[in-house]
Amino acid sequence: MKRSEPAIQVSIARKVFPAIADRPEHVVLGGVELTVERGSFVVLTGPSGCGKSTLLNIIAGLDDDYQGTVSFGKDTGKLSFMFQTPRLLPWRTVEENVLLILDDDGPDAKARVAAILSRVGLSEAANAYPERLSVGMQRRAALARAFVIEPDVLLMDEPFVSLDDPSADSLRALLIELWNRRPTTVLFVTHDRIEAVMLATRLIRLGGNPASIVQDSGVDLSPDERLDREKVLAWRGRLFENA
Amino acid sequence: MALENNTVGTGRVGRGVVGSVLVGRLGWTLISFLSLLVLWAIVAAVLQSRLFPGPMEVGEKLASEAATGELGYNVGVTLARVAVSFFLAMFIGCAIGIALGCAKGADQFFDTWLIFFLNLPALVTIILCYVWFGLTEVAAILAVAINKIPNVAVTVREGARSLSRDLAEMATIYRFGTWKTLRHVTIPQLAPFFAAAARGGLALVWKIVLVVELLGRSNGVGHQLHIAFQLFDVPMILAYAIAFILVVQIIEIGVLQPLEARVNRWRR
Repeated sequence: MKRSEPAIQVSIARKVFPAIADRPEHVVLGGVELTVERGSFVVLTGPSGCGKSTLLNIIAGLDDDYQGTVSFGKDTGKLSFMFQTPRLLPWRTVEENVLLILDDDGPDAKARVAAILSRVGLSEAANAYPERLSVGMQRRAALARAFVIEPDVLLMDEPFVSLDDPSADSLRALLIELWNRRPTTVLFVTHDRIEAVMLATRLIRLGGNPASIVQDSGVDLSPDERLDREKVLAWRGRLFENA
Repeated sequence: MALENNTVGTGRVGRGVVGSVLVGRLGWTLISFLSLLVLWAIVAAVLQSRLFPGPMEVGEKLASEAATGELGYNVGVTLARVAVSFFLAMFIGCAIGIALGCAKGADQFFDTWLIFFLNLPALVTIILCYVWFGLTEVAAILAVAINKIPNVAVTVREGARSLSRDLAEMATIYRFGTWKTLRHVTIPQLAPFFAAAARGGLALVWKIVLVVELLGRSNGVGHQLHIAFQLFDVPMILAYAIAFILVVQIIEIGVLQPLEARVNRWRR
């Protein structure tokens, strides 16, 4: 196992939002250099509107209007992206939404979908249309969809935002469980500092205008300690003391 | 699972309400239809004119035309023309609409063309098609399709303009490819616009086909109406009109409405 080879290498010299109407041109990102090790859980945080989502979209290949390079290591072709909104197809059932991501729809694929749906607690809602489910359940479906292909890289853009606390907590616990079961390289964007500490093995803070990396620290917590509120708060204090 | 119980509960209540509404609506339709018949019969009885036959006379004409097979043949011929020109117009119109909705440059360039064809009177298209291509079946169908294509294109273009970028990005990330994206992401989003185009289209195509038949075909409902007009045979005109309305309603209730319900079953 060549653990040393990085999963993602990002080098963005400049990312500009062109001028629209009366708003002048805006340089969002400048000089972002980032190397993501395989199997690490990297949390990107920073003030709202600083360019976290923009960075994630560039890495995902959804935005190719930038100066710089993004390269993935060997065997990191399979990419999942969990968006701020679930982005499920409303005209397909939960099961169909997840099944569609797989390349085939044979019995093996169906079994995989059933397994992941049961793990996120959606077995009974498999045949429901997404808009008939609660927002929390829709996010669970989106989480199942992100994990069903067993991604090499998982990108997440504030996936638990605008949920009530218990729903967000249970989804976070679910994410930790899924990740422990099958560690994969994760890039997770959030502005919630507690969430950041709970999830991250490495925490990166963006700041400045244009934004670049202003802090890059490891978070050395065991899975159990991540669910311990005291420990998480202590780490938050330490990590964000000069923020 | 409080949520599920709740859903099942509203579902049951919902069905009950829908059921009684349906019965109520059918009842009202029947009453309204019968009163129209009665009114018609009274006016005909008062006028006592050869040019304003009552429902009984028209009904007899309808039965005798149906018995000779004339009615079935002519309605069938018209129906076939409607079907061919309708699907032709839908296919070409949808393709143009999607292309224009997705490509801004093309939209700007062809917008004037579209407005030109939208405002071209149906009669002009029909006459020109017959003049240029002769009094043939192809000319007839082409004339109807050309009348309809711009309407379909404009409706579908609206849909293509409002396609969700969010879902398109999702399809890109999960590598859906062209065919899968079209089938599962694009077409379901356009379905309401297809339905609107189809419904408006059918209503228009029916009427134009009759004019096309009247001007340059030797069979079909339009041709029969033409003959009846020359003979001042009003019972025949009304008999064909009623047969025609019946067929249109059967297609509306038997095909279009169930199709629409099926396409929309995922909605809340």
